[in-house]
Amino acid sequence: MRRDYGCHRLDHDLSRRSFVAGTVAGTAGLASLVSPGQAEALRNSGKRILQIYLQGGLSQLESWDPKPGTLYGGPFRAITTSVPGVHICELLPHVAQRMHRLSIVRSLNLKTNSHHDGRLFMEMGRRTGVFPYVGAVASKYLAPANAALPGYIHVTTRGLTDNTEAFLGARYAQLRLLGPKAPEDLARPEGVSRVSANRRDQLRKRLNRRFASGGAQPAYTEAYNATFDMAEKLMLRKKLFEAEPAAADLSRYGKHPFARNCLLARSLLQNGATCVKVTHHGYDTHAENFNFHLEQLGEFDRTFCMLLDDLHDSGMLDSTLVMIMSEFGRTPKINQRYGRDHWGTAWSVALGGCGVRPGVVVGATNKLGTEVSDREIDGGHLFHTYFQALGLDSTQNHDLDGRSVPIGDPASAAITELLV
Amino acid sequence: MTEARATGPEPPPLPRNPPPPIDVRQTHVVSEFKHDVPLTTCRIAPSGGFVFAGAEDLNVYRWTLNGTPAEKTVLSGHTSWVRSLDFSRDGQWLYTGGYDGRIGVWPVAHPRPQAVKMIDAHQGWVRWVRVSPDGRLLASCGNDNLVKIWSLPQGNLLRQFEGHQRYPYAVVFHPDGRRIVSFDLMGVIKEWDIDSGKQLHNLEAKFMWGFDQKFRADMGGARDMRFSSDGKVLAVAGLSDVKNAFAGVHKPMILLVDWSQQKHLQKLTVDSFSGLAWGVRFHPQGFIVGVGAPQGGNKGMIWFWKSGEEKPFHSVTLSHCGRAIDLTPDARRLAVAQFDGLLRVYQLTQPERQG
Repeated sequence: MRRDYGCHRLDHDLSRRSFVAGTVAGTAGLASLVSPGQAEALRNSGKRILQIYLQGGLSQLESWDPKPGTLYGGPFRAITTSVPGVHICELLPHVAQRMHRLSIVRSLNLKTNSHHDGRLFMEMGRRTGVFPYVGAVASKYLAPANAALPGYIHVTTRGLTDNTEAFLGARYAQLRLLGPKAPEDLARPEGVSRVSANRRDQLRKRLNRRFASGGAQPAYTEAYNATFDMAEKLMLRKKLFEAEPAAADLSRYGKHPFARNCLLARSLLQNGATCVKVTHHGYDTHAENFNFHLEQLGEFDRTFCMLLDDLHDSGMLDSTLVMIMSEFGRTPKINQRYGRDHWGTAWSVALGGCGVRPGVVVGATNKLGTEVSDREIDGGHLFHTYFQALGLDSTQNHDLDGRSVPIGDPASAAITELLV
Repeated sequence: MTEARATGPEPPPLPRNPPPPIDVRQTHVVSEFKHDVPLTTCRIAPSGGFVFAGAEDLNVYRWTLNGTPAEKTVLSGHTSWVRSLDFSRDGQWLYTGGYDGRIGVWPVAHPRPQAVKMIDAHQGWVRWVRVSPDGRLLASCGNDNLVKIWSLPQGNLLRQFEGHQRYPYAVVFHPDGRRIVSFDLMGVIKEWDIDSGKQLHNLEAKFMWGFDQKFRADMGGARDMRFSSDGKVLAVAGLSDVKNAFAGVHKPMILLVDWSQQKHLQKLTVDSFSGLAWGVRFHPQGFIVGVGAPQGGNKGMIWFWKSGEEKPFHSVTLSHCGRAIDLTPDARRLAVAQFDGLLRVYQLTQPERQG
């Protein structure tokens, strides 16, 4: 029986359709490979990503696109923000004061109401196929070779194990942390000296090289090597996880799990992580949508804003792309349980920081919020936008051992109104 | 007999159609009032002449109980939904608790009622309003975790009670008028002394709360709360047995608390029904009426429990989800506010003969 090595061979992961599309694009000269020089410059740029994932589907009507007083508007009111003319839901009072640092896209239509499909589209920038997540692409092109921490770290309280790196290779895969504590078994086992541990590691590497030289698929050993590399980096910086947050930080951020996860995210970004994703669960509100958004956004609003302030005050925001996303929004229609259901047809995200023009609202929905009325956007557009904001030409190709695959969907393009 | 009758006063004539006795098994619809968005609550005015309903819009609506559905009067002034209503003891004023944080004061019978006062009452939603037995005080609770007492008719804040750690969902006066009781999201029941402001008792009903481990959220709270007229029993409508808070998978429950003993008296439940209990009333004939909405499907229910029995002895299927219930002053009729925008009035007797 073959083990699942947690990595994926290129020829397994590239669907025929996406491979052909990528190869054709490459050979036709429509897109070039990321040049070594450009890649090196990007890796030394110090740019990074903070990805806040509001899992389950944040209601756009209770956040970025309120419609108070309309048929499906719900009970919450809109409030003014620091950007004249831009109103958001009253559940985000702290965000409203910082709206000049963020922008909103109000016209997303993913054409899916599936958690799985919506999440993949938002992460991969493609509706179908197997492609690397935003964080994995960032890890490949933005993380320095000598990065002190794994390039792509996901802090969550639970979650799925995704194939985040796709064909890029295991070294770009997401490292998932369940909460702010260090992964279990990070410490060297008692009774194993540092010298002994180093000898074991040298032996492992020698065996891997021998195994690879025998014609084995390099992905088999790469997965092991990547895991050991990540563990080694974490072991060297385990103090990041061990220190109790300062009382002043807990006072500002809060003491709930999302607050502690955001405090860890701040530490990780400050210490060299390239993409840190923090998941806040609890937005799949088929019942009691309004009470639950009160609770969840009550946590999110203040905590996120404290993190945004810290990035800004430390001068990191200019080099940190901040995105607040879900897998879809929620139905305008309010169901019998005071809930809203899945709705990928007309919803919103927010982003800011590195390369993003602040204070912009892109697109619109109609009066009732049931359809996009202006500038329809999907996950492909966002994917291009993220990377062009970071300075990576997403119309270029991944160079995969001589084969090329477009970084972003060639059928899509960046939202230029959002780019600085 | 003829002679005796000739020497005494004439007895009053027998009514041609004596009102039939209460018999909930004969419960039937006598009128319907239709609104075009879902209703959130309803109350019948003390005079018995009007019925009011909140809705998933910014208004409260009034119908004449014996009138036609077309006679709908709009009470406009809140900037969010209204989920709680109560009346002055003389029946002249309506108090509305809005999710805009305000309490509205409205003339009940005015042809075009306008709010005579909008009180900024709470930071966040006003979840509940209730008038004291003597009509001189109004209690409210809201999303600032506070319970407040206001003077009537002035609407001045007299006292506020701090202690709930999470949102208090409902507050009621004890019939003695000296105490109020509030119930919060976590199933915590607090009794407060109005004069001193002190907390008198803290009772828990944690089974009416659940923490959804998967979504990491709390689900609970009172959807309605009432004292029996003698003040001995508190009834709380809500939920229990939370399986999946975000999908609404839990059981309806009406908790009866022996208030003099400060202990749980009974947990009224319903077999084979997943959802919420949204309303409860003590009927003067000794039974309890509740209304609920299901987790799936769209058939709400009215349930009738006899004193001392945990399972309902009768139930009535609604045309949609029930969200509130109220009795007429003579307790012969009840109104139910529904999700489909219908406000239905049921009679708890066999149909009365015309003429």
